Amino acid sequence: MNSAAASLIGVLPDNLLLGIETDFLTQWQFWISVGILAGIYGIFTLGLQLNVGYTGILNFGQAGFQALGAYAAVIFVVELGINFYIALPLSIIVTIIAGILIGLPSLRLRADYFAIATIAFSEVIRITIQNARDLTGGNQGTISLELDNGIFFNESWLKVSSWMSENLFDPIGLSGSEYLGLPLLVVVWGFLALGAFVLSRLVRSPWGRVLRAVREDEDAARALGKNAFSYKLQSLAIAASLGAVSGWFLVLQQGSVSQEAFEPIWTFIGYAVLVLGGLASFSGVLFGSFIFWAVYEGMRAMDLPLTSDKDAALRFVLVGVILIALMALRPQGVLGKKEEMVLGE
Amino acid sequence: MSDAATAPAPSSPAPSGAEPILEIESVYKAFGGIHAVSGAGFSIPEGSITALIGPNGAGKTTLFNIVTGFYKPDSGSIRYQGESIYGRRPDVIARRGMVRTFQITKALAAMPVIDNMTLAAARQPGENLLRLIARPRLNHRSEAEVTERALELLATFNLDKKANDYAGTLSGGQRKLLELARALMVQPRLVLLDEPMAGINPTLGRRLLEHMHELRENDGVTFLFVEHDMEVVMNHADEVVVMANGSVVVKGPPEVVRSDERVIDAYLGGGGDRNEPGPEAKLRAAKEERAAASEEPEPPAPDPAEPA
Repeated sequence: MNSAAASLIGVLPDNLLLGIETDFLTQWQFWISVGILAGIYGIFTLGLQLNVGYTGILNFGQAGFQALGAYAAVIFVVELGINFYIALPLSIIVTIIAGILIGLPSLRLRADYFAIATIAFSEVIRITIQNARDLTGGNQGTISLELDNGIFFNESWLKVSSWMSENLFDPIGLSGSEYLGLPLLVVVWGFLALGAFVLSRLVRSPWGRVLRAVREDEDAARALGKNAFSYKLQSLAIAASLGAVSGWFLVLQQGSVSQEAFEPIWTFIGYAVLVLGGLASFSGVLFGSFIFWAVYEGMRAMDLPLTSDKDAALRFVLVGVILIALMALRPQGVLGKKEEMVLGE
Repeated sequence: MSDAATAPAPSSPAPSGAEPILEIESVYKAFGGIHAVSGAGFSIPEGSITALIGPNGAGKTTLFNIVTGFYKPDSGSIRYQGESIYGRRPDVIARRGMVRTFQITKALAAMPVIDNMTLAAARQPGENLLRLIARPRLNHRSEAEVTERALELLATFNLDKKANDYAGTLSGGQRKLLELARALMVQPRLVLLDEPMAGINPTLGRRLLEHMHELRENDGVTFLFVEHDMEVVMNHADEVVVMANGSVVVKGPPEVVRSDERVIDAYLGGGGDRNEPGPEAKLRAAKEERAAASEEPEPPAPDPAEPA
């Protein structure tokens, strides 16, 4: 317990259950790391927004696509020695193919069965990663990011990152270890903003109009000559590729990959972001992701006499409570459109 | 298409010389053990207005769903403009110029009225993701064109003031009009309407019927509609097809069908599987009206309601 916290709760006795530690909230490092996570899961959730908010398909497998993108990129670079910048688009192609393969048999199902099929898919991916030791590093799931010849997966990125630090941030006084995450933050939010911009244009195009028709009533769209199935497949493929992009950034942020980062709970974190920001709104994704991660990470400020895993579980509980309260008070989310709230059939 | 100039006047009988635009032959469809459609078949000439009637459970809507590709038939033959469309997907059939409306209106409530309309236009370059990105200007041109056509159509249906409202804010009758207007955006040759009059007020209903006749006259569009309102059926159809128990009982001009004993049987006898006072009463009313106007005999006294 430090002085800042003590002054904040000055009147309370020292042995009170709930302590609050707020020092880190004023540090750049904390907000940069919140920003990066918000950006990564923002990109992740853009895909969910396209699927759920605009196409009416419940994709519960986004973490699977993220895992596939992350592991494919790392394996291409580390195991196959492919150039980093070629490996990234290749990993997107792999993920899109996976999206189409899972979509072909399951998108004909009703919305809820499709949801079950996708969650099964994402677990198949994760458990395969966990067990395919030769390829992925086995049960710990952490693939070696280092090539035999000493090249690291993220070597190319580190070059870009240090160039950005030297030429963009040092001159304006943002130097030192505190600002180490700044280049990644900028690149991730650049991707996120670009993605949100392009997608919000797309959903207002004739292509997006068909998606929105399918979201509400597939039969109406088909009766007007639109191949609803094809559009659902395209929507899923785009979401899968966004999942892959968020997967690379997660690797770059964490510096390692572990299958635990792709458990289904992370898909539902994406849904929490989606619901918080609002359905059928891409700016809602940006907003929702930032608020979610600020609150979620900020909950570390609670200094409870609990073991660390209980502490982590409690953070999820609080996230749940916030979501329930939001559903009761503002079901369309902060920036969502009530008129466009359509889910499944 | 070339028939536009030779389209018959609204009140004239069916053009007997016209090519059939739709030919249905011995279509079968069973759900489990229930034969919803068993051997139904009829054809309708291009540029005609045909009514499909029959008691509830006769298989009218099922036949609609089969013809438009929403259900796969068990057997039979369906030809549209001389080509088989048997077992084709609904979107493929719609793109060929056969569009339908639904018994329960499918206005897309979460989309603005104008988007409902522009959605329906066929062959839009911007509907293809690759073309949309590669040729943005082509898309812009097409959008301008499509929007203009949509606004014109909305104006003829008195919906232009609602163009930017969500379709969910429209009344039931307005939704029916929107659904018809939207179907017309496809520029169809054949329109199938499932109970267009149900639940809309007489003024809107009249307008809908006027549009139907105008489209037939001006563009040679063919109509097939399911309807329970006998007055509408008798006054607006060139031909009436009566279905009962999954097959066609009678087909002919309204004045022939209305006096056919089999039709009355279908409605009042063992045809229906449920008590159904609505259409019976309407048929009786229509028959009484006609009886009053002509010298034909009174219709038979209505049977008491069937025991369940």
